[in-house]
Order: sequence, then structure tokens, then C-alpha cells
Amino acid sequence: MRDRAAVAGIGMTALTRSSGRTELELAVEASRAACADAGVEPGEVDAVLSYHLNDSAPVVQVAAALRIEPLGWHNDITGGGTQAASILGDAAMLVASGLARTVLVYRALNGRSGTRMNTVSTGPQERFTRPYGMAGPIPMFALAAQRYLHETGLTEEHLHAVVAQSRENAAANPRALRRDPLSLEDYLARPYVCSPLRTVDCCQETDGACALVVRDARLAPGAPRIHAVVRGGGPGCSSMDRSPDVTQIFSGHLAPLLWERSGMKPGDVDVALLYDAYSWLVPRQLEDFGLAARAELGEFLLRRRHAAVNPHGGLLSEGYVHGLNNVAQAVRELRGDRETALVTGFGGSYGSAAILTRGR
Amino acid sequence: MASDTLTYWDACRRGELLVQRCTACARRVHLPAPECPRCGGADLVYEPVSGHGAVHTFTVVHRSFVPEFRGREPYVLAWIDLPEGVRAFGQVVGCPPERVRIGMPVRVTFADDLPQWRPA
Repeated sequence: MRDRAAVAGIGMTALTRSSGRTELELAVEASRAACADAGVEPGEVDAVLSYHLNDSAPVVQVAAALRIEPLGWHNDITGGGTQAASILGDAAMLVASGLARTVLVYRALNGRSGTRMNTVSTGPQERFTRPYGMAGPIPMFALAAQRYLHETGLTEEHLHAVVAQSRENAAANPRALRRDPLSLEDYLARPYVCSPLRTVDCCQETDGACALVVRDARLAPGAPRIHAVVRGGGPGCSSMDRSPDVTQIFSGHLAPLLWERSGMKPGDVDVALLYDAYSWLVPRQLEDFGLAARAELGEFLLRRRHAAVNPHGGLLSEGYVHGLNNVAQAVRELRGDRETALVTGFGGSYGSAAILTRGR
Repeated sequence: MASDTLTYWDACRRGELLVQRCTACARRVHLPAPECPRCGGADLVYEPVSGHGAVHTFTVVHRSFVPEFRGREPYVLAWIDLPEGVRAFGQVVGCPPERVRIGMPVRVTFADDLPQWRPA
């Protein structure tokens, strides 16, 4: 499927903490904006995909509201951040197989005012952990983060560098929910949710929607290409009861496969849209994707050599449309002066990653 | 195929920590599982463990997402490496949260019919 599909349009609603609108309304607004951006009528869309956790408007409702009739291939894919990059692969496969020419992809949620992620089920091991007062993703990924800091020697100063850079990057982004500078002193004064993660180490729960129009690249020759997409995972922080390395996340499993499938190397990436639901995921992915070596991670962060990561502020500062807003930013970057973008989707030690390249 | 967790919870109520052993490959298995995750063996038997361990990783919960635990923060959640070769979960109790460290030796203790961990 390499380079056979392109992201021809992107659309987003405003990101807020209280949209006052249904997920359907949010999805329709973002989808119309993405179609307009791509220069297609909604009626030209012949496939619709979304991912969600029963917290959104299903694809048939969105397709009906957009008067996509008759509707072709459509699917509600279960999952959150894990799907953020691989939904590009799902769309590209439909295009490459000839099943669709124009695929609408969206994620819509009232992640702050409606169904919040902070108590979402983390799996069947919960019956052994919930009785101790553990629920939702934050304590789970805090446990992994604590061990990661222990093994790498990184400290709260380094986590601050991640969050502060994210705020600086968001400063010029009018969509971003958090744009104010964050000094080390301010950072250290923020309360812990679950140590070592403070409130500001966790992404912004957000109401909003983001949509993409993926087309046969022959129909959109100038649009950023979907060059390679990988999805998978294995032992790691999703199975801490039996994984030798509880700090392992999806990127450790997927990076070698991504370089193999893309025919590229880390040095080819000139902008990285890393799934930053938690601050520590940035160094973890920099290391896994070969963008920084473990031994130099601390200096790398303190010298802000990660300044090009998430130039819009990412999920930590722009907002949390479950990673699809990071994909939209990859497209903006490739419409500008960037050649090659890495975009990732985190679901613990399972997830996805994609390489997008500039249109021709 | 059904996971026999009743045996595990019953032992907890007696103040005993049981960990499964796979009769096919002799490896210990925990958390309780219906099949050995390594060899697929389906004959798992519960056996006691020494009750010793060391903190593999931990988090101090300052804001709980379990309603009945709100107001009881801060408390420490931890994965504990057991010398039997498995990892157990629980709270670290009996010391201030700020004293908990990775690698800290702990011993099992029981509270509310659950295995918990205190400094050894």
C-alpha cells in the first residue's frame, strides 16, 4: 500500500472542555471541514472509519448526517490512542485494494464533559488490582513511568523539559488548550495525580473532533502520502504481571518494523508527532525510534533538542482528540516545508506508527 | 479452562498467599490464570510462597479514580518481585509513602482479606 493513498484533507472543531454539543454534531462539523479542505463533496466519500470506546457517534449516524448515500465500506473500530496511526493504514488498505477511493476518518468525543478516560477499563487483570484502589490508565502508566525514570536516570527536571517545551510549541497555536509557559518552579508546584506523574504530565481531557479525508493518491497528487504504517505490540506495560520489562511500550516492538517497511532510517524523519498522553512517553519513543540514545536522553531533553517534536503542542498542550489531532498536524507540516513525518498511536505496549511523506 | 480464582481468594481470607505452579513446565504463574502463559499447560496448582519480595515499581496515588478510595490518598500501589519468579500486586503499607523505593525488600501482610506489603 506504500504511497498509494494520500491525506487530502483535514478538519477539526474547536477544542474545549465543555462543547455543549453531541459527539455527532462534533463529528459532522470536523468531517465537513475535512471534505472542504480536500475539495470533495461529502457525497463523494465512499468509505467511513472511526475509532472509539463507545463514547462517540457511530459511523452510520455520521454518514447519514452527511448524506453519504449509498454508504460503502464503514467500520467502528474499538480503541483509543492505539488506533491513531493505524487508522491511516486501515484507510490506505481500502484504497490500495480498490474497495474505496475516498475514505472519511474521524474521532469525535466529549472527553472532558462527557465520558472521561480516567476510569476506563484497563483489562481483565483489574479484578486483582482494583480492590487495592487502582483504576484507569493513569496509575497504570505511572507505575511504568516510575520504573522508566529509575532505569534511565531521568528525573522530574527532564519531565518538566518535555511539558515546558510542549507549552512553548503550543504558544502560537490558537487551537491549543494550554499555551502558557511553565517554569520548573511552576511545574514542581503542580500536584501529583499518581507519582511521578503530576497533573501537567498528563494530557488534556478534551471535547472536540478531528477528521481526515484519505484518497487514492492519483486523485490528490499534491497531498501528503501514507508511506508506511505498522501496528502491533507485545509484552510491556500492558501486562506488568508477567513482562520482564514493564517500561516497554508499543514503540519498542514496532520501530524496527517501521524502518523495514518504510525503507527509511531515523535520520530521515524531520518532524515527529509522538503520542504524548504522558510526558515520559516522549523520551521513551525518542529512544525506541532511534531519535536519541538512552545515554544522551537527559542532555537531549534539557537542551531542548526535542523542540521539533509535536510543533503544535501535542496532546499535552493542544488537546486530546485521541491522537488524530497529531495526524492532522503531520499533514500541516508536510504541506509546509517538511518532507517526512513520523506519527504514532499509543495503547500501552500495543499501538501503531506511520510515516507520511510530502506530496509530489 | 475457567480460571480458579476462588482458591486464591479463599487463601487470602486465611492470610495465606498462594501462587500457581504449572505442572507441565514447573514455572510459577501469577496473577492467577487459566493456562500457563508460557507453555500453555492447563493444569495449574496453587502452592504457598515465602511471602518475601522486593518492590519492582510503585506509584503514590494522590488522586484516586476508585470512588471508595477517595479521601484515603495518598496510598502506594506497587508491583512486587517474588523470589519464586513471579510479580505480585498490592499496596505498600506500614511506612510513609515517601520512603518507598524501587528495590526495597518487603514482606506480605494481610489487610481487608488482601495480600499487602510492608517493609521487611
